[in-house]
Amino acid sequence: MVTEAVPVLTISGATKNFGGVRALNGASLSLFKGEIHALLGENGAGKSTLLKTLAGVHRLDSGEIILDGKVFHEGSTKLAREQGIAVIYQEPNLFPDLTLAENVFAGRQLQLNHGKFVDWAGMQSAAQELFNQLGVPLNPRSKARGLSIADQQIVEIAKALSLNAKVIVMDEPTAALSSKEVERLFTVARGLAARDAAVVFVSHRLDEVFELTTRITVMRDGATVGTGITLDLTEKDVIHMMVGREISDLYPKIVTTPGRVVLSVKELAHDGLFENISFDVHAGEIVALAGLVGSGRSEIARAIFGIDKYTHGTITMNENRLAIGSPSESMAAGIALVPEDRRQQGLFMAASIAKNVSVTVLKRLQRGFWLQSKSEERTATSWGETLELKYADITDPVERLSGGNQQKIVLAKWLATKPSLLIIDEPTRGIDVGTKAQVHRLLSDEASKGLAILMISSELPEVLGMADRILVMREGVMVQELSRSEATSEKVIAAATGAVTV
Amino acid sequence: MKIILSRLVAVREVPVFLALLLVLIVTGIANPQFVSASGAQDIFLGVAVIATLCVGQTFVITMRHIDLSVGSTAGFTAYMIGKVSGDHHGLGISLLVALAIGLLVGAVNGFLVAYLRLPSLVVTLASLWIVRGIFNQVAGGNTITDNQVPSALGYLGRHSFAYIPYIFIIAFALVLFASFIMHSSRPARDLYAMGSNPPASELAGIPVIKRTFFAFLASGAVSGLGGAILLARFHSADSNSGLGLELNVIAACVVGGVAVAGGVGTPYGALIGALLLQSITQALGALGVSQFWQLAVNGVLLISAISLDRYLTLRIKPTRILRVKS
Repeated sequence: MVTEAVPVLTISGATKNFGGVRALNGASLSLFKGEIHALLGENGAGKSTLLKTLAGVHRLDSGEIILDGKVFHEGSTKLAREQGIAVIYQEPNLFPDLTLAENVFAGRQLQLNHGKFVDWAGMQSAAQELFNQLGVPLNPRSKARGLSIADQQIVEIAKALSLNAKVIVMDEPTAALSSKEVERLFTVARGLAARDAAVVFVSHRLDEVFELTTRITVMRDGATVGTGITLDLTEKDVIHMMVGREISDLYPKIVTTPGRVVLSVKELAHDGLFENISFDVHAGEIVALAGLVGSGRSEIARAIFGIDKYTHGTITMNENRLAIGSPSESMAAGIALVPEDRRQQGLFMAASIAKNVSVTVLKRLQRGFWLQSKSEERTATSWGETLELKYADITDPVERLSGGNQQKIVLAKWLATKPSLLIIDEPTRGIDVGTKAQVHRLLSDEASKGLAILMISSELPEVLGMADRILVMREGVMVQELSRSEATSEKVIAAATGAVTV
Repeated sequence: MKIILSRLVAVREVPVFLALLLVLIVTGIANPQFVSASGAQDIFLGVAVIATLCVGQTFVITMRHIDLSVGSTAGFTAYMIGKVSGDHHGLGISLLVALAIGLLVGAVNGFLVAYLRLPSLVVTLASLWIVRGIFNQVAGGNTITDNQVPSALGYLGRHSFAYIPYIFIIAFALVLFASFIMHSSRPARDLYAMGSNPPASELAGIPVIKRTFFAFLASGAVSGLGGAILLARFHSADSNSGLGLELNVIAACVVGGVAVAGGVGTPYGALIGALLLQSITQALGALGVSQFWQLAVNGVLLISAISLDRYLTLRIKPTRILRVKS
């Protein structure tokens, strides 16, 4: 491990605002040649924004990035790559119909005859050479379609190698890998560092961070909290640096006494996704499914709602067993699901607010054969008041509203069905603080009126602030159950990441 | 053996080619007349125009776009070649006019799709109508007759080399040339990337706008050339020339493995697709099946082609979350 005195990359005083949200607030980072550097922080701490700036996707509002002694030109992915920065995303973006060799050289194919023709043989042997260096048995002639995520990442890393990247950023690369694939990736990462590249490793799995990296930088609220040598730090130190704040009155939780069991899940399993999942949700209770992105939480929610099938176990709603894979039966049994990706799965973007809110209750609004838009609008308007919805006209298309207001409409649409169980996936992702509090108040109100809520959230403060009970998932297994009083950030993170000592 | 077989099937053009052989063999056994030299000549003649237009269409479909204007453009240029030549201008000037019309339509399509980012389906549907409208206005009720057709074109349309019509040889040469380009030139490889994963191609630094524009320009130019072949084939042209041709062209591309989802396919695949569709049409005739069934059979073939495609491409492993126990 060679560490030189002059860093290959320095970021200082980085700030970036998105609308009213401050994503970066004076963040800094310095990287040395040959090191593997962990970048840690909760969701929303600003890691992604910082990485996307390096990738050339965003441009900083202020601050300075020096790469190899020169000012880094921001705002172009192509330029970023040419300057020597490569980003390997959790789910790489390959060309499925092209060969691996073409993928490695996409947009800059090797050429013969003074640039007249594509040099297929040259690209294939160069790609083969790269794969050999990385020690992976990939065939440069085969197509990228159907490649495992681990192999897709390797293709991206081969691309980075062929570009002689000075800085290689891996953004949560291990989230979807098996333990063998993680081992292989670690070997590759160490190999990259040995060739004097600076590797940035982003992961929520602290055990991996401590196994692989040489230094750690922790971010919180858009700023850098601290940097240290991995050997000098403990998992406890790092978790403290990541959390480090009190839960504010963003979470107006009303204390309720749980009623009867509404949802009962017994020994639910699906090959390769999750296993032995058992829990109950009571009326008036908010149960949070916590865990890292990709730990199987959304998959469980989809199985309960009947979107996906499961291979083992039972799901019971109000003492009636639900059929496998039938959303309409789940809805009839009183389940409502607010999905994470609301633009795609939750809303008809071009339709009016009124139409979106009333679409789930059309039967109730029907008069004979005809629908009355007046009654649609009435329903929507009354929900609009409850939800403090901001809009110009109830007939405006939903796409004109802000993300927060769109989320409220998805909520209204499902609450209008008067469900007895609400499953909500990432209730406040990507919406501003004020609207967040409104959504939380609404959830809390509905729970106090007897609604059972199963909430999936990656935001720890939200989980701790809203939930009566917290079920922590790790890699498809439910590893811990915490009551509201015993739950702390440290405990949840430790359980979700598999850290041993806290 | 099994590996070789599965590799062969994985080459998109192979199943289509096998289907073509099957049609020829089955029909040939049922009606030996069909596999005669004149039967082949009929198929080749029928396919020449469509095969030509398939070349341009392949460029466009590969990048996940579509060009519906090719039928109108080819019809219009066929008429204009006859008109200009009938006014005693030479073949060269006639062909230049054809090329100019094709390039103009292609440039307008390309500009609207590439630079203004309008959807190609709508843009080229509009230009299909606009070109046809201008065509109707220019042509009125007039017909280009045999004596207005440039003699060289007339000759190419009537004569053959060893039972292979010259116009098919021209189309075939164009297909081979375009297939080589699609395989070996960097801009053409970029078209595959753009169709395969549009956002990733932007990230890879591919000049997407420029490539899109030039692909439509090429399709326009090829349509102009298609007009010349159309005129050579029929020795006449009127305001109905080329009507609905775009649909046959797209069908041939899709059957030949040029997926409308982009990213895959070759001009020679489209040619095989065109040959298959044409052979089936003629085989049904040779087998005494009513003409009316031919369109229905083409429809079934189209659906089979895209179903096969979906089956071949949609077998993706689900992501694992549970750690593999080691």
